[in-house]
Amino acid sequence: MTDKLATKLEILSDAAKYDASCASGTAGKRTAGKNDKKGIGSLTGGTGICHSFTPDGRCVSLLKILMTNYCIYDCHYCINRISSNVKRARFTVQEVVDLTINFYKRNYIEGLFLSSGIIHTPDYTMESMVRIAKSLRQDHHFKGYIHLKTIPNASPELQTEAGLYADRLSINVEMPTQKSLNTYAPEKELGEIHNAMGRLKNKITEHKYDKTYSGRRPPRFAPGGQSTQMIIGADASDDKTILTSSVDLYNHKKLRRVYYSAFSPIPDASQVLPLKPAPLVREHRLYQADWLLRFYDFKLDEILQGTKDNMLDMDHDPKLAWALRNRDIFPIDLNRAEKHLLLRVPGLGAQTVRKILSIRRHTNLSWEDLAKMRLPLNKLKPFITVSNYRPPLYLLDKNNLGDMLKKPEQIELF
Amino acid sequence: MKTIKIFQIPGTEEWRREARIALHNNLHPNDILWLVEDSTQSDLFDTLSINKQEHSQNQSCNHRQEKRSHASIAIPKSAIELFNMALCHKDPQRFSLCYRVLWRIVFEDRYLLQRKTDNDIITLTALVKAVRRDAYKMSAYLRFRKIDSPDNETERFVAWYEPEHYSLELKLDFFKTRFKNMQWSILTPYRAAHWDMTSMVLQDTPSRAQYPKEDEVEKYWLTYYANIFNPARPKKKAMLSSMPKKYWKNMPETVLIEDLIRTAESKSRKMIDNAASD
Ligand code: SF4
Repeated sequence: MTDKLATKLEILSDAAKYDASCASGTAGKRTAGKNDKKGIGSLTGGTGICHSFTPDGRCVSLLKILMTNYCIYDCHYCINRISSNVKRARFTVQEVVDLTINFYKRNYIEGLFLSSGIIHTPDYTMESMVRIAKSLRQDHHFKGYIHLKTIPNASPELQTEAGLYADRLSINVEMPTQKSLNTYAPEKELGEIHNAMGRLKNKITEHKYDKTYSGRRPPRFAPGGQSTQMIIGADASDDKTILTSSVDLYNHKKLRRVYYSAFSPIPDASQVLPLKPAPLVREHRLYQADWLLRFYDFKLDEILQGTKDNMLDMDHDPKLAWALRNRDIFPIDLNRAEKHLLLRVPGLGAQTVRKILSIRRHTNLSWEDLAKMRLPLNKLKPFITVSNYRPPLYLLDKNNLGDMLKKPEQIELF
Repeated sequence: MKTIKIFQIPGTEEWRREARIALHNNLHPNDILWLVEDSTQSDLFDTLSINKQEHSQNQSCNHRQEKRSHASIAIPKSAIELFNMALCHKDPQRFSLCYRVLWRIVFEDRYLLQRKTDNDIITLTALVKAVRRDAYKMSAYLRFRKIDSPDNETERFVAWYEPEHYSLELKLDFFKTRFKNMQWSILTPYRAAHWDMTSMVLQDTPSRAQYPKEDEVEKYWLTYYANIFNPARPKKKAMLSSMPKKYWKNMPETVLIEDLIRTAESKSRKMIDNAASD
């Protein structure tokens, strides 16, 4: 390896860091077969291992790089846009393959997350990306994780081929509305992005459910599904608009994850952009709301009900905010209430709820038990009853209950 | 009072054998004193090869299925799994704790494990959790360095890793599966595992000297680490909660951290202050 390579790596990992979706998703289990004398790597079945953490608190799981940061497009929020003044570089197919394998063998990473600026044409770019994935799988029998960020207007054939080698494919929607795209990413078409997602969805489900006449499955296709990303706070879209488009993507395009990335200032920024970063708290609240929608049976209306200007409450997490607006259903008896109600109690996560359900088959939960389970007693206090505890009546009626439950230091903003 | 000495590290098998006898003899937990004799001080065990035995690693450190005797007592499988994990903890109290829980499951309450608010169960769960985390961190934070071989044909990789508990055996299957077609050694202060692509050999108290001083790829890893960090959002606390300092000694990239944090603020300020270019 030469030091020119180090310079490229510097430029092309730096350019990739503004992408939020760093986690490697789940794509089932995979290992090198018994007679495979070459194969390297494994998928453990869960989410990928975090091999390190950077000082911004993020997990390093994949080699996340751009193939190149040259780009013929001009999306304003993007550091790689054609009008930006950054240093440019481009990896060869072989360089990316070697870096991935070399990093993997030293146990630095779970796999590769490759995206790219668009060089020459979308198809030309996509083709090189597919070649990288193909070489990893076929020349090196690589069994680790591969995530390709596909180019929305590349040909359907190339996207199909990408799905044969990648565990996950993603296409960024970037902005929730076409209006915002027009302002910030003039070459991008929401319709086109949605179409590409729709095609991928069909391929993915085809593989999952269809068996051929002889009972064989069609070749594996992106077993980890597809994901996307939205940039938060660069345009004026409110949280309702953002979450509505997420719900639509989960329901109609069967996405695995929508990632939210608070807009963060980039070097050599374009003038249409705000100069200050969007608050991280907003990104955090959107993730929490997204979580409630997917795992806690919350409806979007419930989350948005009573919010100001269709923006999530910044002081309280969306579940607590909902509870504060719906005090009449509390306190909830932890020894008797049904599961869906337990899931509504602020301070009880899905895992804790499971634990409570199992414990209460044998004993009646007391306040001391909650302490032993290290639950956030202060947060729970107004909302629950257990065998030897009821909240004093005035607690739920207090006007300043919300203030009492504010956590001033929840997010470190430096 | 009966004294039982455990010689091996972590001692899972020995404990199991002794616990079974004690249970059979109706020995109350309060009547046993469990003592740890550090076997690494004596040369009682040096190299033990485990390639022949079916090395069932399922969450167990080092235990092999023992012959069923008439003395065997049915214990919930989940309890055995918890003991096997907890016994990899460094806490010398682990042997008496596990025996007490075992005793109570047999004589007091078969469903003891589900009483998550029982003090013994809380302690046991805490040990298991610590070991599970330690083992996970090992699979995450261990770094191989390549040894240049004269023939340039076979690559060999060596890692030095200091786990907090006796986690090596818990992760052998993971490394064996992932790096099946690679020759590697993992050295820890108490034991090493050597994999030659067909069999695994364990060796007690290896020397750190086998660990190469450098690796040609490591500088690219450091380059990557430094550049993937977004200086606009340093969150040191979040980093430390996932990657506490005690692990740093195992990871080459951590030498960069202090510097990255120190320069972060000025870097992101520069970006904000810079006038927009177009
Ligand atoms: S197409 Fe992608 S890389 Fe190119 S400017 Fe737009 S967002 Fe950036």
